[in-house]
Amino acid sequence: MAESLRHICGISGGKDSSALAVHLRDRIPDMEYFFCDTGAELPETYEYLTRLEVILAKPIARLNASRGFDHWFEVFRGALPSPQMRWCTKNMKIKPIEEWIGDEPAVSYVAIRADESNRKGYISTKSNIESRFPFVEDGIDHAGVMRILDDAGIGLPAYYEWRTRSGCYFCFYQRKAEWIGLAERHPELFERAVAIEQKVLQDAGVNGDADFGDRAMRGRQYTWSGGETLLQLRSRRDEILERHEATMARADKTRANVPLIEALADAFDEDDDTEPCTVCAL
Amino acid sequence: MSKLAASISVRARFARSANLERDLERQEPLDGYIVTSRALDVVERIAETAATGPAGGAWSLTGPYGSGKSSLALLIDAAFGGDSAVRQTALGLIDESSREVGARIRRAHRRHGTESGGFHRGLVTAGREPLNRTVLWALYSAVLRSYGGIPSRTAFRASAALKGALADAESDDPRRTGPSPSALVDIACCLAEDVPLILMIDEFGKNLEAIRDGGDADPYLLQQLAEAGQGAGSPIFVLTLQHLSFEDHLAGTSSVQRREWAKVQGRFEDIAFVESASQTRALIDTVFSVDDKSLRARIERWANGEAKAMQELGIADLADPLTVASCYPLHPLAALVLPELCNRHGQHERTLFSFLTSQHRASASSFLDQTDVPAQGPLPTIGLDAVYDYFVDGSALQIESAGVSGRWNEIATRLRDAHGLTPPQERLAKAVALLNLVSTTGTVRASAAILARTDKDADKTLAELELANVVTYRDFADEYRIWQGTDVDINLLLDSARQRVGQRPLSEILSEIDQPQPVVAAKHSAKHDVLRVFRRRYANSSDQVEPLDAFSRFDGEVLLLVDAKGDVPTITRPWAGAKPIVAAIPGEVSALDTAAREVAAVHVALNDQSVADDWVARRELSERLAQTRAALDGALTEAFSTDSCRWVLLGPKRRELRSGRGSTALSDAADDVYDETPRVRNEMLNRAELTSQGAKARSLLLKAMIEHGTEQGLGMQGYGPEVAMYRAFLERTGLHGPDKRNKAMAFQKPVDESLRPAWKTLQEEFRRSTSRRINLTDVYAALLSPRFGMKQGAIPVLVTAALIASSDVVAIYEHGTFKPLLTPEMSERMVRNPGHFDIKHFANTTGARRQVIEALADRLNLQPSFRKHRVANVLTVVGHLVTRISRLDNYTLHTQNLSVATVRAREVLMTAVEPDELLFASLPEALTFPPILAKAQDYDFAEAYAARLGEVLDELNNCLEQLLDQGLEYLLKTSAETSRMVVMGQAASLDGEVLDPDVRAFALSLANDTIESDADWAKAVATVVAKKAPAEWTDDDVVHSRRELDERFASFHRLLALHHERRARGGESFDAFWWTVTRSDGVDQPLLVSDDHPAMSDAERAIAELTRIIGSQKQAQRALLAALGKQMLPKACPDHGASNVLDALDTEAGYG
Repeated sequence: MAESLRHICGISGGKDSSALAVHLRDRIPDMEYFFCDTGAELPETYEYLTRLEVILAKPIARLNASRGFDHWFEVFRGALPSPQMRWCTKNMKIKPIEEWIGDEPAVSYVAIRADESNRKGYISTKSNIESRFPFVEDGIDHAGVMRILDDAGIGLPAYYEWRTRSGCYFCFYQRKAEWIGLAERHPELFERAVAIEQKVLQDAGVNGDADFGDRAMRGRQYTWSGGETLLQLRSRRDEILERHEATMARADKTRANVPLIEALADAFDEDDDTEPCTVCAL
Repeated sequence: MSKLAASISVRARFARSANLERDLERQEPLDGYIVTSRALDVVERIAETAATGPAGGAWSLTGPYGSGKSSLALLIDAAFGGDSAVRQTALGLIDESSREVGARIRRAHRRHGTESGGFHRGLVTAGREPLNRTVLWALYSAVLRSYGGIPSRTAFRASAALKGALADAESDDPRRTGPSPSALVDIACCLAEDVPLILMIDEFGKNLEAIRDGGDADPYLLQQLAEAGQGAGSPIFVLTLQHLSFEDHLAGTSSVQRREWAKVQGRFEDIAFVESASQTRALIDTVFSVDDKSLRARIERWANGEAKAMQELGIADLADPLTVASCYPLHPLAALVLPELCNRHGQHERTLFSFLTSQHRASASSFLDQTDVPAQGPLPTIGLDAVYDYFVDGSALQIESAGVSGRWNEIATRLRDAHGLTPPQERLAKAVALLNLVSTTGTVRASAAILARTDKDADKTLAELELANVVTYRDFADEYRIWQGTDVDINLLLDSARQRVGQRPLSEILSEIDQPQPVVAAKHSAKHDVLRVFRRRYANSSDQVEPLDAFSRFDGEVLLLVDAKGDVPTITRPWAGAKPIVAAIPGEVSALDTAAREVAAVHVALNDQSVADDWVARRELSERLAQTRAALDGALTEAFSTDSCRWVLLGPKRRELRSGRGSTALSDAADDVYDETPRVRNEMLNRAELTSQGAKARSLLLKAMIEHGTEQGLGMQGYGPEVAMYRAFLERTGLHGPDKRNKAMAFQKPVDESLRPAWKTLQEEFRRSTSRRINLTDVYAALLSPRFGMKQGAIPVLVTAALIASSDVVAIYEHGTFKPLLTPEMSERMVRNPGHFDIKHFANTTGARRQVIEALADRLNLQPSFRKHRVANVLTVVGHLVTRISRLDNYTLHTQNLSVATVRAREVLMTAVEPDELLFASLPEALTFPPILAKAQDYDFAEAYAARLGEVLDELNNCLEQLLDQGLEYLLKTSAETSRMVVMGQAASLDGEVLDPDVRAFALSLANDTIESDADWAKAVATVVAKKAPAEWTDDDVVHSRRELDERFASFHRLLALHHERRARGGESFDAFWWTVTRSDGVDQPLLVSDDHPAMSDAERAIAELTRIIGSQKQAQRALLAALGKQMLPKACPDHGASNVLDALDTEAGYG
């Protein structure tokens, strides 16, 4: 049934997907936009989405609005998500998307740029969904994306000033320097992340729920950022920023003609930065 | 060269087992019968009684298989029989052992005048049949043997009784129970009137087994028979032969039966028919007789040497040369181990004699047949290795106990697997193996000294075997072992372990070694469709016990009291709602105590460091652990079995419980305590913990309850588990049913009687929350505890039903925050953590507050949200308000561009916590009305308050829209046009001509024709200008956006002017500059110049000249501009103003 073919475009709150939405706004008239709301996005993201909605003159469906992170955190009885246990992605991104899409045939437009063909966004395994990559098809690269956003007059989300990705304020993929950024830009959110972490630590401890360790936290991460609590991380603020700047500077300076071995050693920060949350960074 | 067999004869008569009926009155079985000392003892007792006693006697002969009991019976039969060759043989054999006993028998015959006819003798082998039948056959056989048939009534008074008894015994009529005991006793007495009667029952154990299995005990027959022969009774001699004692045969029967049989056994004299090792060895002597004189001399010489050696080794039993010689051809070491080997691993003498005399290729008899008598040198003997071969190949070893068999298997397997041994090595290894097998402690062990007696090169061979890892020398035991022995002295270890555990309380020990499984109160569970599980643990009567938590998955606790004090523990906080605690008080715990301490001791030993590194010791201890644990299990069963144990329900309802099979007592307790168990007829739901499938189904059910409560079947389709749950627990019970008033379905008071008390309690809990919030766990606890004992799986469903039914009056708070609506996702969290939720009951309001509610409902146009209530109430109104506020945008929530009352009311609505507080106090106050007191009857401002609140809400509702309207108006005003279409057209005309990004974005947003409504268009333009959507604006953003809009339009208009100029020139392409010179006092002058000015090249030359003079192009440009500015706006102001303008020009010209 051709008339029921849906056109959908996922918005992550980042620049690429926003640019794609703008790019397609007069090309695909019946486009449906959606955003997976974790309930824990940065205020900048929410603000940017409202901006985008105005520009698109269409609502962006907020999926999952009633079952955000706080809901699942309670239902999972206090297990922190982690790269090994990414229940956040499953429950707050993939499941709501697939539920929302349903079983009707649909075309999903994915914001992968012409200059990053090796990246993978959310590409559904559902057979009723056909994925298309308009930026790749139209040869739109990073500069093209920036131009689309500029022309639309919405610019970049404000968090780009201190953070490289959209996503939850406590995203465990963010760099240590970005945690410091959160602490400075949104102290109240940083405190909430601290509170969640402290609760997990306390519940997992001897005084907590007796079977908590067995049930919720077996083999999982107890802290958001590898190897230390957020409070410890914040106490190393200067050290982290210094190191971050040094690595950024080195990366800038040596971007050309870097011997492979050095390039690998120079990986931004001490964090594992290799595997971002693909759905978050849709 | 002759064979040994030619000179040594073997008396082979013991080679087979006797059968009473078959061998009766035959010569052969008695040929060569050896009257051992203990056989003689039995014969002597009977002879003594018969010769001198007042009447008869009763003996029970208990001895293992193969010990010669049946042969003894044949001997006795013959000795007390009539004059015959058989009797002569029997008496001859007895005389051989003891002339005195033989004489006594003759005296007995004389006393009773039986020299020719003999005693009446009834012999029978019992089968698994009632005792009276066996006794009847014995009596019948006695009669047949003495009379050759049943004599006439005149010759035998009891002949009719005997015939009747035989008819009874053979009858198929099920009503007949066989011969009556009294008739049999009568027959026996009748026989004994004539001459003494001997009754012998072989395999009596079979009778006892029949009694044990059939339960139809007739012990009195035996007792009466025994009694008849005692005191001044008749000369009746009863002899039973069995291989276990009465008690052991009857193990497992009821205690009543055992007591009865103990009484019977008391009438019998018990004779243990067991031979000591040296007595058994003495039998060997009787088997071989050396007929050849020279050989006998050689044997004696050999024996002298061997006996001396044995003495040196400390083996006193074989230190006598005569004994050694009598055992030839057995090597003295073989003679040493044989009795132990046969007793422990075989059938006693039967095994011994079959080794000595059978035709088995490895038997002693075969050895004699096959072995030559050497002309000189040492005599060939049957060594330990030969014994080993016989016992392994002949499979003569009977496995008696797991411990020994384990050891035996280990030894045999190791030896079998040791390939490539030389014959001497193999012989020696077998000797070691055999000694290992029989050795316990003391002198008989595989020591180097003893092994040296087996072979002259034993030392060397031993070293070889050690090297080949076939044998190991174990220090502590000073012996070689074929199996990987252990250096750990297990017995010593166990002794010290026993001492360590000996001091500790039994309950503590048991708690460590045994975790009793929970028990289900079966009868109660079946009756109420619920699984009632009791946890069990060991305790002392002096303990202080806390009742189980309401949330425990157990419904009660059983305290297994093991301190045998008869008291019961005290409960620290006894209250009627606590889960039941039952004390199990055993009558007797001594066996349990012993068994438990033994298990604990083995545990301690197993954990010893020395054992940790020694797998052999570990294995042996593990085997022991298995044995002792079996004993413990038995002792536990015995202690807490229904017969011997009392059951007491503790707590306020304390009473003695009914005991009976299985969990009767617990069902009794559960019936008492959980007497209002709601019936949940869905097994998937009615559990303490749901399966994942069950949890999913329940989640779907709860969602349907919340979202489709007014629909038939909750709008669920199909036959999934959630539908089954619905039908069983909601529909069938009437919890969900038609509500006549509203003509829809609704949750309501259940029809099911079993659910009513729980529902009532729920309502009471809700009511209890009228004065203060209560936590949902309290509600859960009430349902989990007695008298309901609901399972945790079903509780959320019942509670949700009740919450929905009371949704107009019961407010829900999550983490302390009022939630206007129960949503499915809240329900999911509630199932997980009921403790995060509070409830509060808002009873229907009256008086002034009711007036207000009605006025508000009217003004806000609220429909009563639920069926029962005619009007809305606090929660309906507050729910409406909260929902409306939560939908407002950020601008409306924060702007001060509202009336003062609205701003105040907004603050109150956003921060309110308590619904009634909000509605009756803080909101009126914010709107400058007096609060509405709870007890007030009248409120004059009800209408006014409602009207004002309505206005506030309207204002908030329209706030953003108004902002956007103003925005559109301002936009059009600033554009100096009257319609959007004109502006759009202007912007579209600039398409592709604008390079500045901000201006370009602005122009594009003005030109955007994909947006339909003017308001949306204005919104989009405003968003581009402010870089923020109006819904997110602050009041500052409003001001800022207007300023920005002014500037953007200024730029836009300049561009438009440029564009028009170009069009005026015929539309041909040209490059031009739009200059604006602004003086510091704000006066400015715009100017459009084209780049194809006729004097352009002159001007360029002039600038080049100026640059040459000043020396810097930049400075030259600046100077030129300053001069131009001065000329164009002559009333020049101070210098810095001009330089500002120039700076701006620099920038625009690209010189910055």
